[in-house]
Amino acid sequence: MTHDELLDAFPGVRVDQDNAAYYRGLLEERVVVNRCDDCASWHHPARSACPRCWSRSLTPTAVAGTGTIVLLTVLHQGSRKEGADFNVGHPLVAVELDEQPGLRLGGTVLGADPATLQLGERVRVVVRRLEGRGPRVDFERMS
Amino acid sequence: MSPSRRNPARDQVAIVGLGRSPYGRDRVGCTPGSLVLDAAIAAARDAGVGAADIDGLCGSTVATAYVQAALGIGRVSWFANPASVIGNQIVAAVAAVHSGMCETALVYHNAYRMPFASRSAGRDPMRRRAMLGLAETRSAWGTGHAESGANSMFGANAYAAWAGRYLHDYGYGRDTLGLVAINSRTNAGRNDNAVYRDPLTMQDYLAGRMVRDPLSVYDMDIPVDAADAFIITTTERARDLAQPPVLIHAASLGSTDYGIEEQLLDLNHAGQVVVAERLWAKSELELADVDVFYPYEGFSNIALSWFENVGYCGRGEGGAFVRQHWVEDQQRILIDGRIPVNTHGGSLSEGGTQGAGHLYEACLQLRGAAGIRQVPGASVALVTPGGYYFNSQGFLLRRDG
Repeated sequence: MTHDELLDAFPGVRVDQDNAAYYRGLLEERVVVNRCDDCASWHHPARSACPRCWSRSLTPTAVAGTGTIVLLTVLHQGSRKEGADFNVGHPLVAVELDEQPGLRLGGTVLGADPATLQLGERVRVVVRRLEGRGPRVDFERMS
Repeated sequence: MSPSRRNPARDQVAIVGLGRSPYGRDRVGCTPGSLVLDAAIAAARDAGVGAADIDGLCGSTVATAYVQAALGIGRVSWFANPASVIGNQIVAAVAAVHSGMCETALVYHNAYRMPFASRSAGRDPMRRRAMLGLAETRSAWGTGHAESGANSMFGANAYAAWAGRYLHDYGYGRDTLGLVAINSRTNAGRNDNAVYRDPLTMQDYLAGRMVRDPLSVYDMDIPVDAADAFIITTTERARDLAQPPVLIHAASLGSTDYGIEEQLLDLNHAGQVVVAERLWAKSELELADVDVFYPYEGFSNIALSWFENVGYCGRGEGGAFVRQHWVEDQQRILIDGRIPVNTHGGSLSEGGTQGAGHLYEACLQLRGAAGIRQVPGASVALVTPGGYYFNSQGFLLRRDG
């Protein structure tokens, strides 16, 4: 896939050389996160050096996609263009992935009554295709 | 490594001019540039300096080149536009003045209601054009956030999520955040520059429209058109100018390697922790010396964290602390019955200028020029603008002599 094709797949997103693998992964419905070849630690968002050991040898690596909700809010206001139901409330979470403490992704939780969501809940990643915006990471409950 | 105590600029640089463009929710005919010029001209006149005296410029989003040309400031030897407000501009100017890069700096920041900020702003066709050329806010910073919107843990959404985490972890209800909002509103009642001055009760607060759970309309700063400006020069020179100098005793910025919203490990890794540690290390003053306190409350939960980080109480105790120091018959916080907090009404009631209003008010109090809300004998102010990630800042200011 050319860079032009990748950029066309994600209108409005700042796709660059550092995070291209993450977005290319989403097109294949996979979540790939930068992992250090030297010290094996993960980091996100993608950058060009390992923040732990400064190695420049990094491999975008698929994660299991399971984790725990560590931050939670419910949005009751937003742009109509977002396609979210702000009357019911649109949940937004940060999820700490099982791979490493502090390794987190943000997104909404699909198909969940926002009033019942809780910090500490287990969720898994869903790669969701949004009309006109390209696929993105969101979550669903594990049980 | 223990934090450096080195602070050669201590008390050597002063704020000697204050100017502003009045805060408003319904102003028409203003631009970001015109707001800055209002404030800049007022600050220079307040200090008794003219264009020929100013040789340093430091602002937020309005380019220094614009201000320099618009005010006919013939020659400047130092200028900068740092991103985070207002501490980054002030700290840069202190360093520039103390190092000799310039003698007298004009520092400014403005807020401008973008068309999405309110219905009235949305009706102004020229405000729609004011968005022209602006990138999606945070992606332009290059911090790593490549997207924003309802599915991104970013900006206000993330502050709401951290507020929820705080209430959950330490067992507080929303009424704890309400005390911060009511304190600001009560104090705003004595400030003509504040956009919201009517009293706010806890009942009103709890009935407020929920926006980003647990933050309601009363927990988030009020979009305004406004600007503040400051003239900064050496204390020596300031003593010959028109106003009593406010000395910058110590200042610090703070950031950790968990600098974006959802990656912040926990509140012990917030930039605020660094600010407080460095500020006290560089200071000859102690918390007990503080007469007035200005914790930023652009989101109400941020203020609770500042109480904790500057040392009034431990992690998670901010909510209990404000309740313990709540004066029911005044509907505001008085620490130890003595020290008022955000005497101007803060971002929640005076209007949201990202901490510039807090700094301005602290200077007024130290000059003894705060009118009906003057705190008698105020001689030391602690000002802590900014939130958790990339904009935590702190200042210890003192009256001269």
